[in-house]
Amino acid sequence: MTFAVTWLLTLLLMTIPFPSAVAWLLPHWGLLFVVWWALMRNYRLSMTLLMLASIPMDVAYGTALGLHALIFALLAYLLTLLGPRVRQVNWLRQSVVVFLVLLLAAAASYWGRTLTGQDPEFWLLIVQALCTAIAWAPMRMLFEGVARMTGEPEVRTS
Amino acid sequence: MRPLFSQTSVAAVRLVIAATFSVAIMFVDVRFDALNGVRQAVKTLLWPIEQVASAPSGIAQSVSTWAVSHYRLVERLQTLALENERLRTEQLKLQTLRAENSELRRLLSVQERVNERLLQAQIQRLSNDPFVHRATINRGHLAGVVVGQPVLSADGLVGQVVMVYPHASDVLLMTDSTHQLPVQVTRTRERSIAMGTGRLDRLELRNLPDTVDIVVGDLIETSGLGGRFQPGIPVAYVTEVIRSPGQPFVRVVASPVAPLSRLSLLMVDVSERGGS
Repeated sequence: MTFAVTWLLTLLLMTIPFPSAVAWLLPHWGLLFVVWWALMRNYRLSMTLLMLASIPMDVAYGTALGLHALIFALLAYLLTLLGPRVRQVNWLRQSVVVFLVLLLAAAASYWGRTLTGQDPEFWLLIVQALCTAIAWAPMRMLFEGVARMTGEPEVRTS
Repeated sequence: MRPLFSQTSVAAVRLVIAATFSVAIMFVDVRFDALNGVRQAVKTLLWPIEQVASAPSGIAQSVSTWAVSHYRLVERLQTLALENERLRTEQLKLQTLRAENSELRRLLSVQERVNERLLQAQIQRLSNDPFVHRATINRGHLAGVVVGQPVLSADGLVGQVVMVYPHASDVLLMTDSTHQLPVQVTRTRERSIAMGTGRLDRLELRNLPDTVDIVVGDLIETSGLGGRFQPGIPVAYVTEVIRSPGQPFVRVVASPVAPLSRLSLLMVDVSERGGS
């Protein structure tokens, strides 16, 4: 239930129309969705479900099908490994870790996009990673609120 | 005794399987266009979510339109009446020119241009991914839109339809880095390919010989090669000509004629020639 609600919320945020001039300053909501699940509820995360959840995000963004699945798989793996230690630190340090992991995801995204014929500028991906990391703390609060409403068991964090 | 496969290695195996599967899907989608059905089905399922997401901006726009003062409306009405008069005069001239052109074409035994049928459409959303220049318009195959049809604005070419759904279509803007367009310089008829750069204000013409006659300000239009776009549609103005000493080719940078960053109303060319 929580997975479905957070996923729908993420899709809603991803499809809100914004002027194209500010598109590169928007956080990547889909990445924050994965970060939250991999970091805060990794015991409930299924790779198959994550890959299925990524397909509508590819369609919403107009990217090649499978690009988000690749990035999500990498993020989920890295954050599941780091999860127990990162959960113990405060939100600011968490944001720094999230930013560093998102940089690796940005590299995967760059590689995937180049493979599909796009010509992305890497610095824009870094800016997007930074904006996404900044949005981590409020997004975490939002998803925790959703988890409380849907009765998802809480994980103790600092 | 240490387990043969630790928890970490199981996760790594899952990652490798997921990554391989993802890359395979990407390859199949991009190289063979084999997953268009999946894309269409998912997009149709996303439609209600997109409507909910667009609702606040739609309401804000309605409120702002409602709040426009009477004075500004009257002023706008007068401007539009003047513009209408000017266009009617232009249309009279155009009719004469069209008749002359038809006569000249008949004398020269040149085939008559296909009369284009334009379908008005409105942009519903632009992709929020900064590297994807794709717009969703409110006309789909129920309105006669087909993949490949050119999309125009009042100023010039915008892009082409790449995906069609029942009530909407995806338009790939000509500035998307995967878009390439056969063009010619209006003044010299020099042909080239205009490539998207991933920036809304920039197209590039590559592989033009160093000796090419092209200057800043030249208009670039569709050449009609490939049969998808009618020849003569304005595409861009040349803004920069970069000649590097020792290089056999010149790089030409152009700015789209259509204001791609603030488009709202578009026209889809739904004549027979499109959709090839």
